Amino acid sequence: MTTSMNEYIPRFLNVKRKVQETGDTYTIVLDETSKAEPGQFFMLSVPGAGEAPISVASGTGRELEFTIRSVGKVTSAIRERDRIGVRGPYGNAWPYDKYENVLAIAGGIGIPPVRSLIERMIDKGRGEQLEVLYGARTPEDIVYYSLIDSWSSNIRMRLTVDRGNTTWKGNVGFVTSLIGKSESPRNSAVFIIGPPLMMKNAVAEALKSGFREDRIFLSLERRMECGIGVCGHCNIGHYYVCESGPIFPYSSVKQEPELFL
Amino acid sequence: MNYILSKDEMQHLFSRISRRYEVYGAVERDGEVVFERVNDFGIVSQKKSRYAPKEFLIERGENVLATVPQERKAVFGIKSCDLKGFYIMDKQILGKDPFYTARRENTLFVNYVCNEPCNGGFCTTFGGPVLSDFQIQVLKDQEGYHVMVSKEFDHYFRDFRRDESRAFEEITEKFMREMKPLPVEGIESRMKWDSKLWKEFSSKCISCGACNYSCPTCYCFDIYDEGEERKREWDSCILSGFTRTSAGNVRPDLSDRLRQRFYHKFSYYKKAKGEYLCTGCNRCVDDCPVNIDIKEVITHDYLNE
Amino acid sequence: MSVVTVCPYCGTGCQIVIEGSKGQRVSGYSLSPVNHGKLCVKGYSGLTYNFSDDRLRYPLIRSNGEFRRVSWEEALDYASKRLLEIIRKYGADAVAFQSSAKCTNEENYLMQKMARLVGTNNIDHCARSCHSPTVAGLVSTLGAGAATGSIESLGDSKTFFIIGSNTTEQHPIIGAKIIEERDRGKNLIVADPRRTKLADIASIYIQFRPGTDVALLNSMMFVIVNEGLQDSKFIEERTKGFPALSREVEKYDPVLMEAVTGAPSDLVIKAARIIAEERPAAILYAMGITQHIHGTENVQSISNLALLTGNIGKRGSGIFPLRGQNNVQGSSDMGALSEWYPGYVRVEENDVERIEKLWGRKLPRKRGLALSEMFEAAADGKLKAIYLMGENPLVTEASVADVERGLDNLELFIVQDIFMTLTAGKAHVVFPASTSLEKEGTFTNTERRIQKVNKVFDPPGEAKPDWWILKEMGMRICGMRNYSSPEEIFNEIRTVVKNYSGATYQNIYPIGKQWPINENAPEGTEILHATAFPIGRAEFKVIQYRSPAESVDEYFDLIMTTGRNYYHWHSGTMSRRTDILERESPEPYIEINIKDAQRLGIRNGQRVTVKSRHGSMSIKASLTDSIPEGVVFAPFHFEEARVNKLVGNELDPVAKIPEFKVVPVRLIP
Repeated sequence: MTTSMNEYIPRFLNVKRKVQETGDTYTIVLDETSKAEPGQFFMLSVPGAGEAPISVASGTGRELEFTIRSVGKVTSAIRERDRIGVRGPYGNAWPYDKYENVLAIAGGIGIPPVRSLIERMIDKGRGEQLEVLYGARTPEDIVYYSLIDSWSSNIRMRLTVDRGNTTWKGNVGFVTSLIGKSESPRNSAVFIIGPPLMMKNAVAEALKSGFREDRIFLSLERRMECGIGVCGHCNIGHYYVCESGPIFPYSSVKQEPELFL
Repeated sequence: MNYILSKDEMQHLFSRISRRYEVYGAVERDGEVVFERVNDFGIVSQKKSRYAPKEFLIERGENVLATVPQERKAVFGIKSCDLKGFYIMDKQILGKDPFYTARRENTLFVNYVCNEPCNGGFCTTFGGPVLSDFQIQVLKDQEGYHVMVSKEFDHYFRDFRRDESRAFEEITEKFMREMKPLPVEGIESRMKWDSKLWKEFSSKCISCGACNYSCPTCYCFDIYDEGEERKREWDSCILSGFTRTSAGNVRPDLSDRLRQRFYHKFSYYKKAKGEYLCTGCNRCVDDCPVNIDIKEVITHDYLNE
Repeated sequence: MSVVTVCPYCGTGCQIVIEGSKGQRVSGYSLSPVNHGKLCVKGYSGLTYNFSDDRLRYPLIRSNGEFRRVSWEEALDYASKRLLEIIRKYGADAVAFQSSAKCTNEENYLMQKMARLVGTNNIDHCARSCHSPTVAGLVSTLGAGAATGSIESLGDSKTFFIIGSNTTEQHPIIGAKIIEERDRGKNLIVADPRRTKLADIASIYIQFRPGTDVALLNSMMFVIVNEGLQDSKFIEERTKGFPALSREVEKYDPVLMEAVTGAPSDLVIKAARIIAEERPAAILYAMGITQHIHGTENVQSISNLALLTGNIGKRGSGIFPLRGQNNVQGSSDMGALSEWYPGYVRVEENDVERIEKLWGRKLPRKRGLALSEMFEAAADGKLKAIYLMGENPLVTEASVADVERGLDNLELFIVQDIFMTLTAGKAHVVFPASTSLEKEGTFTNTERRIQKVNKVFDPPGEAKPDWWILKEMGMRICGMRNYSSPEEIFNEIRTVVKNYSGATYQNIYPIGKQWPINENAPEGTEILHATAFPIGRAEFKVIQYRSPAESVDEYFDLIMTTGRNYYHWHSGTMSRRTDILERESPEPYIEINIKDAQRLGIRNGQRVTVKSRHGSMSIKASLTDSIPEGVVFAPFHFEEARVNKLVGNELDPVAKIPEFKVVPVRLIP
């Protein structure tokens, strides 16, 4: 590495469009073509506020898009800007091209990297080989609602909410309850992302339903500050999530006591 | 290549190096041995410095958006245990962090091998006190200064006498006798996740962070924005904010975090990089206000708790 | 360049070695008898506030609601002119001076001298809100209001009794010493409503109701007298008033007192026996004892207990009021208090004549306004001007609404500080000051150790050391001498404060010395009262238990006790501008017992409204089992949830300290 290069310095991109998704969740579309593979993340920044690790939400080759939940100083500041600092892509991708069939299970705010996967596989003409199970907490929390119809004509998709409301006519129940009913071949790759407890239950359900343990992949989340494997914050066991992940084969991490915390 | 130099010759060597490098050395000030700019070889102390000078590589408060500095610095009098820590850290961060990499490539460390085991130190457990990776390694005795030089710096020693003595071997033998290595082999398998050692430590620990601050192998840092700058600050994995996110905290209890520190040192780094993340310098023990001793993590009987 | 100086945070006074132009390396000074090279997280990671972009750089004058930058000349001339006008028109007692326990001895000395030369005793500072009962209480019982031993001497103690102090969080290095000693098998008795870290490792932990300290202490003394465990020889030879005390404590059977204090009688009995028999025993206390309307009486009860058991004057025994600020011991020694001249000479006493001779002027003899009284006086129009240095009363004082009303009513408000604090925002004139790391001087820590403070960095912009600013103001308003250096000021202090007379800038560096330091004790004095008390015989005081100012009722059914946490410091002006510390404790919270939370339907992290008889605030709840049912705890570090809005304005009659520790509140989810 030439020492004159400084990996910490971001490039600044214009925000072409902003979309309000749900109450505190919004999407920004940046002025760059994404070179990232689904599952990878970028460090987005606002000078004076800081940086935050955000997974890419759009498919490779499309406009670079991120869906962000306003939970802190940085994620709230990003929403107010027309120019965002960007570093990346970092991390590894869902290994969708190593397996013929993919079952992706997303809980809550885990949906953006699955959207990236959906767009990528559709763009590669592999929509038929993808099944997506997406569970949101309530109907108001469903992200990308307007895209789901068009996705459903290209992939197999099932949507559910933990709790319905007076007008909701769809599935009610945890997303893990849909796993057993999946018609995906049991040798499919299984990609899981969501809150830790949801991932733990999804793994158990997947195994119970006959999916192969050696084809289960998890997207893990930890506090990140550098994105390049040097600040030490994001470890799980001997892995740094930013370097060896965020996508991990379940078998590599299943012995880690901190896995589903 | 090994050489033997007199004090005058060392001064000569010092001057040669000073032409190319900004030279720092360990000096005594008000009873402490600290690192300062020096222009005289004679004032560099043989004593163990108060701290491991990792600020030569990872600087607190530096702006990571600034141009990466390229100054050449030389540091005389760093102890073997501290320098070894840098070699171990290299495995994770050299080549990735531009500032660390530039400094590492531009800094010449001249380590002084100790003549006596220090109180509490256990460097022999990790191969000390003579390093196998070094740039210029110095051992002083009655005969003069025995110097072990790496190929890269051999050209500074052209006119000096070769050293045929066994000084370095003898000091190693002395240390092995007086500082028996601890049974660290296999600690990564012996350590227990549920050991009551972690709770014992956490009942005393006051979360000062001295262990991370003083350690020559602790590299973790925090990044925060201040105005136009993005600054780096030394961080401590035993603080609760270290792993806190908006989703929660994977290590909510102090005992979880103390366990993380020791697992990183003796299990995770060994698995990932093949080496323990410890050099036996004992600085964490010296600076701990409640005498938590890292050696206990190695010697504890996990099986028969 | 490495500089040895003193940490600017707490009263422990750890010595630190700072290197690098931005303080890149901070170590504990290994030769210091205070901290032996150790530091807490505030020492290591808490000094970067020095370089904050928020630092005040230029003098400011407010006109038309906006601050505008002015030169020093203009600011000093304007402020002094206005002050003199007010003094001429309304009299010297219409102005007040608020000094700072974070500033050096030299600075505190100058400010109180300025006040007295102007003709008023309206000089006070935040010691009023913390250890004023210690000064009042211990001066009345022992003749000196300071810790009787040294931190090192705790190594000789056999027993520690810690009451009203969360030592590992507020005086971490002293707390660490206690942990180490406990590890060596010493007895540790902890009495605190909250189950602190030391409570968890104590031999005996007594959880008792806030505000019932006298009942608890008297019940311990009941046991000791009843079982004949008192040190009769010591009592006979060195004290007076024992018969009256023993008659009083007769009424405090711990079995009966359990209903009042909530303290299990068997633990009280065990603890009392240990303090009396396993000696030397050291008693450590802090705000849990002092911040009550009976704070002075609480302190006198502690003194009673120590005298009763002969636990004074021997190394390892003694009374240790743990002073909060880095120099609150010093600022008190310097007399920046409305009832004390430097060296604890009461304003009404004849001893003031000696100081009049030294300063060449007749000096005011009437007690001035305490800090807690100044804001009411301002609101009533009796006080027209305040010159304030290094304090933030809008966050730290009780009855914040009154503070605000008072400040708003002033004709002239001068603030000297390092940041634009909430309080400084109300000033008419702002003087930008140096931090402790940017000037020279001395601090006196909680063990009476006078330590040298050395300059590490240059102040930003045109900020100046406080002593310089005070000197410039003093020259303009009261003919103060043009001191040329802090050392010159210190040499004057040595002539006025007998306990400091033997100290010089040279002999207190690199290791400080404990006062009294004079010809009889040229190396300072480690243990006080070893052979004699300054008042001859120490006095037992008869103290009756009385309830706190406010009590719970049907509506205000919880007791809120306010306090601090480990990561932040007081009003947070320094620690909240520090990355690591702010990350560790980023937002205000109120601790509530898990069962109480369940009863009220409050979840962890839920925002609740907290109401008292004086004010209310909105704050997040933090559920815990280390606090008893019926009690809630909130730290006062956060501007956005000023807990002191809820604290009432009733004061201890002697020490004038508000009751921060007992505030009946209601929690509304």
